[in-house]
Parts: sequence; C-alpha cells; structure tokens
Amino acid sequence: MSSLVSQARARAPRFAEAAVERARLSLVPVRRTRPPRAPFAVLVFAILGAGVVGLLMFNTHMQQASFYATRLQQQADDLTARQQALDMDLERLRAPQRLAEAGKELGMVAPGVPAFVRLSDGSVVGTPTPASPDDAVRIDPLPPGLGALQRKPIIVRVPATDPVATIQPVTSADPAQTTQQTTQQTTQQTTQQTTQQTGHRKHKSGRGTGR
Amino acid sequence: MSARRPAGRWRGSSEFRLRFALIVLAMVISVFGVRLVQLQGLDPKAYAAKADAEGLVTVPLPATRGSITDRNGVALAESVSGLMIVADPKRTDEHAEEIARILANKLDLDYFDLLSRLRKNPAKPDARFAYVARRIPATDAKAAVAAIDDAGFKGIDTRLDPVRDYPGGDVAANLVGFMKVPDEAGTGGGLERSFDGLLAGKDGSETYEVGGGNRIPLGENTEVKPVDGKNLTLTIDRDVQWYAQRVLRTAVQGARAESGAAIALDSRTGEILALADYPSYDANKPGAASKDDLGSRALSDVYEPGSVEKVLTMSGLLDKGLVTPRTRVRVPHQLPVADRVIHDYFDHDNLRLTLAGVIAKSSNIGTVLAARQYQPGQLWHYLDLFGLGHRTDVGMPGETRGLLPDPSTWTELTQATASFGQGVSVNALQMATAINTVANGGELISPSLIKGEARTSSGDEVGTDVASRHRVISQSAAEKVSKMMEMVTTEGAGTAPAAGIAGYRVAGKTGTAQQVGATCGCYDGSLAVSFAGFAPADNPRFTVYVVIQKPQGSASGGGTAGPVFRKILTYLLQKYAVPPTGTKPARLPVEW
Repeated sequence: MSSLVSQARARAPRFAEAAVERARLSLVPVRRTRPPRAPFAVLVFAILGAGVVGLLMFNTHMQQASFYATRLQQQADDLTARQQALDMDLERLRAPQRLAEAGKELGMVAPGVPAFVRLSDGSVVGTPTPASPDDAVRIDPLPPGLGALQRKPIIVRVPATDPVATIQPVTSADPAQTTQQTTQQTTQQTTQQTTQQTGHRKHKSGRGTGR
Repeated sequence: MSARRPAGRWRGSSEFRLRFALIVLAMVISVFGVRLVQLQGLDPKAYAAKADAEGLVTVPLPATRGSITDRNGVALAESVSGLMIVADPKRTDEHAEEIARILANKLDLDYFDLLSRLRKNPAKPDARFAYVARRIPATDAKAAVAAIDDAGFKGIDTRLDPVRDYPGGDVAANLVGFMKVPDEAGTGGGLERSFDGLLAGKDGSETYEVGGGNRIPLGENTEVKPVDGKNLTLTIDRDVQWYAQRVLRTAVQGARAESGAAIALDSRTGEILALADYPSYDANKPGAASKDDLGSRALSDVYEPGSVEKVLTMSGLLDKGLVTPRTRVRVPHQLPVADRVIHDYFDHDNLRLTLAGVIAKSSNIGTVLAARQYQPGQLWHYLDLFGLGHRTDVGMPGETRGLLPDPSTWTELTQATASFGQGVSVNALQMATAINTVANGGELISPSLIKGEARTSSGDEVGTDVASRHRVISQSAAEKVSKMMEMVTTEGAGTAPAAGIAGYRVAGKTGTAQQVGATCGCYDGSLAVSFAGFAPADNPRFTVYVVIQKPQGSASGGGTAGPVFRKILTYLLQKYAVPPTGTKPARLPVEW
C-alpha cells in the first residue's frame, strides 16, 4: 500500500509544493493534559480539615454536655437533699407532739366525751360535755428527778466499829489518847454511814419521781 | 519535566527507598513487639490494674432504705440523703479551733468533741482520716463545708452516709425499732430488724472514667443499678399511737408503776391502730435509752392476766349453753379448793349474784363456781381457741408465746385459778386479741401490724391480707358476754364506772392480778392492773386493752387502767367519727 501511495505521489504533479507541504496532515503528538492539582488538594484538605474540626467540635460539645450534665446532676442532688430537709422540717412541724404543745399553749385539752353535730339536720349526736382541766393529758415527759443528777452512792466497807477490836492493835500508845482516837474514828464512821444512807434514800426517791 | 529531576535525584533510587522504609518499619514493629510481650507476657495484671487506677472511678450507688409509714402514709421512719464529714487531721490540726467553731455553730455539735477529732491523735499521729460528724442531712453538711472552704481551711471533706430519720421521735419507737448509729450498718430491733431484708434493698456501684472531675463521655462505663428497699405500711395510726403513748405514760408515772402497755384494735379487721409501750425511747437516740426499753413489752413481757380472763371463761360457758347471764350464783365469802382457799378482792358476806353480777363485781369465787359446769378439758380448749399460748405473729421480733399449761397437767386448782386468770400467762396483744373475739361476734381475727402483706426476714408472710379468722364462740354467746361486760362500766352496778363514756354503750372488764416475782417464783405482792373493753357495745368498732405492771400504792384495774382505756377509746371514737348507736344500754340484774 505504501508503495502504491508513494508511486501515486511520485506521479502527481508537483504544484504549490510549499502550500501542500504546509497543509499536509501529520500525526499530532498526544498531549497529556493534566487537570490542575491545586483545587483537588484544596478539596481534600478542606474535607480533612472539616472532618477534624467537626470531630473536635463534636468532642468539645460532648465534653460541654458532660460538664453540663454533671452540673445539673449536682443541682438535682442538692435540690433533692434540700427537699428532703424541708420535708423533715415539715414533718417536725406536723408532729402530734408539737401540735399538742401548741394547743396546750392556747389552753386546749382533748375532749372528755365525744359528741357530733349531724350536718344534714343540725342535730347533736352524743352528750356534749364541756372539757375540763381533768381531761388534760400530760404531754411532756417529767423532768428527770434528782436521781438522774446524783451519782450512785459509793459504798465504803467500814471495818468493825467495835471499840475493843480497834483498841487492840495500838496497845503500846497512851491509853487515854487511844480511846479518844477510837471514839473519834467511830463517830466519823457513823456519820459517814448516815450520809451514805441519806444519800441513798434521796437517790431512791429521785428515781421514783423520775419515772 | 525537567523541573522534577532534581527531587528524584534527592530521594535516591527506588531500590534504596524501599530498603530504607523496610528497615524503619521493621524497627518500629519490633519495638511494638517488645512492648507487647512486656505488657501481655510479663505482668499483665499489674498493668491492667494500673490502667484501671488511671482515671477510672468506682462509686457505690447506695440503695435507699424503704420507709416505714403509718396507715395514712405518714412516715414513722424514713431515709434521707445524708453526708458524713471527714477530716484529714494532718491538714486540719493547724486550724482545729477555727474549723471546730464553724462546725459547732453550723451543725449544733459539741465544740470540744470536734476539737479532739480535728486534732492529730497522739496515738496515731500518721492517721489521715477521722470521722468528724456522721449522718448529717446533706444540705446542712454542704453548707458547713462550704463555710469552711470560704474561710480558707483545708482538709475537710464529705462522703455519702444515708440518714435514717424518725420524725416522731418516741412515737411507735418500740414497734419500728431503730438503726444502729455507731459506725457500721445494722439494725436494732423492732420492724427495722424483722423486715430488714425487705427494707434494705441492694446497693449498686458504678465505674467510669473521669477527667478533671467530670465524666468522660463515651468513656468506659459499667453500672450496677441499686435496688431500692421496699416501703412498709403499718396499720398504726400515728396520732392515736402518740395519744395512747402520752396517756399511758401519764398513768404509769402517776401510779409509780414499772411499765405499761396499751393496745387499740379495729374490732372488725384486727388491725392494730396503736400499740403503746412505756417506758419508751427516742428512736433517733437509741443509745441514751436502757436496753430493756428498746423492745415492745406488750409482746415480750408475760404476765398473768387476772380478772379480764373471766370474760373468756364466761364466753365458753355461754357458748356451750351451760349458763345464761341471769344464772344465779350463791357466792360465799371464801371458797376452799384443793389445799387452798380462794377469796374475792373485796370482803363480803354471802352474796347472791347473777352471772352478770359475777362479771360486773369481778368475783373470783363466783367465776370458780360457774366454771365447775365445764367438763374436764373444755376450759383449756376454749382458752386455746382464744389464742392463749399461741404467738400472734404480727411480725415483731422477740414475741413471747405465753403459757397455757398442758391439759394433762390440770388439777382442780389449775381449773379454778385459770378460770379467773391466774396460773396462765399471756402477752398484752394475745389478751387484746382474745377480748376482740367477743367484740367481733365470737370470731377470732389474728391481729395485724402490717397493711397488705410483707415477708419477714425469717420468711413468714404477715399482714392484713393474710390475717386468719376462726370462730371461737357463737354470735349469740358473744352478744350475751358483751351485755355482761357492759354492766362493768354501768354506774352503781360494776367495778369501773369511770371507764364508761357518757352517751355510749361501753363494754369492759377490769383485771387486777398478782404477779409472779422474777426471783422467788411465787406471788411476791406485785400486781398487774388491766382493763379491756370495746365500744359501741352493740356494734363494736374499737377494742382497747391497757395493762399497767407493778404499780405502787393502791391501784386497781378500774381506777388505774380504766381512765387510760376511756381516754384512748374517746379519742378513737372522736377521730373516726363514730357516733353513739342510740340503742338502750343493757340492763341485766346483778343480784337476786
């Protein structure tokens, strides 16, 4: 084929050689046109940046939420505790003992005989009886008696008070002095005993009223 | 093209680059490998523990203890969030006075006690932990610690420490019990103990990572949720309970008695509306009370019921149809039985009493004579049916069974004394239940303290839902007994007109019983005076039983226990708006 073409070419009249030469089609080298790199890189970095920033913000937000939750939880705990404390106060104010004391201040006593007014016809059911001081019930505990303040009696075992027995160990001393000493001792012992006894008695009576 | 050449030259040939990367990778991987062997192979547990300690926090999640409420939902015992205040004595020692002053002012604590806790303990100078105050309501504790922080002192901190609060103080304290205050957990009797398993719940715990005091979101997190304790609702009415306790205290103190108990029952349901004991204690300060006063004497003390028991003897006789309220009895001034002689509490010549009169005048001799109508074993059978010698099982710990001697051991004397309430022993609730049987038309209802149903720690189901009923005497017999009991509170006929309430029909019975001393095992001259009854007699709503142990001086069932009975019953009738029935009071002849 190529030889035929070249023969034909050879045979063809050669006119306007220069123009033909110029107009001749020739194989254009393949031009590899690359898209510009910059936008793509920008896009990738943008996505990456957005991702990182987004993640960071998400994380920060979560942290913030966590702080907020902790704070709210704390607040809720505080408020619960406060409510409980107030409930306790309320309970104390509503306690029958306090109400009874308040009533007593006003001079009130529990009724001795129950009686009712029937609202439908206004009639009185029961025997209405005025309350009297006898109906009062003591609502306060008795003050602790003396027994609560007094110490337990200290019991001292007193040696035999028989003068003869006590004289014997001190025979060497002056007899007059010894007798005097002994009598003194005995009187002391007796007084000690009596005080103990009275103390004991007081203690007992104190306890009695203390109940 | 030509611009890239120099860079390629700088990087060197591809072969060189590959080798270089391989060497670097190999080095890095071998470092990792060594580390891996070190972590997993050599001592994995220690490292795991280290990792846990780093930022991982485990906090206990304490279960809230259930509350104990009365029948209207008013709390008798409740748990509130509380804190304990703890100190590091090494850091507080320097400013102990100032800190103690702030705490003493804010929390009403003892200054000198605080001072010793905040100072270094000479015995343990290196201690870095000391309790300063325990079970403080959270708000108070936080305010106090904040005040210390503001003042610039360090070394004070708080920790969780739930508070068990008893708003009523001594109201129902003997029933409810208390929590032990000293350092560790534990319960101190009453319902707090017998229902501990139900009330306590189960503590949980939570483990999570923290950073800077805050939870790290999405961090490691394990949680075992706490199971809160269940609430317990009682049949007690707090107001009635309070009033009963105050009336009882007044009476016991007035009679200079050793102790006392008062019980109010709903006649129709057997619900215990009040169960008062004296001496009592403040449940918030159980340590200040004597150990003997912490339980419920109404359940733990046994005593001989005395004349109140005559009601049961008569009930049996009437049920068997052996007598009527008008049966005539000739009552001599004394009656020999076996080797003993039975007397009445009052001197008299030969009396001619009806059976109603025997009850109204509380004649021992008359009762013994009437009880001779019984076949052997019959009286025992009735007393057994009335619940004597059986626990009431209301759910309280430490209840006594009482003593009903075995029928095989009964002699003529046992029969005679048992008929008027000596030689048998009961607890107060047993006796109240027995009397309530008459009020409830002859059917015994087991008493209940718990509303609904609850299981005790020992596994018994108790409560109103499982209350049992059984017939003891016929309806007509119960009505007859009720009329006989009405004569007791009738002016001019009975022993206790002071127990009657104007306008109401009140049935009652006095009791004055000799008690067996603790040491000698014989009657030592001490008494138990009691009064039992119910109203309105023809349609009973409330049954009240009062017993006062060992009064000094002159005391009697009618004169000492009767007014307590009347006051509690009056309060109940008024509070629950029970009007008089308006029917004619019973009029039975007492003499002939």
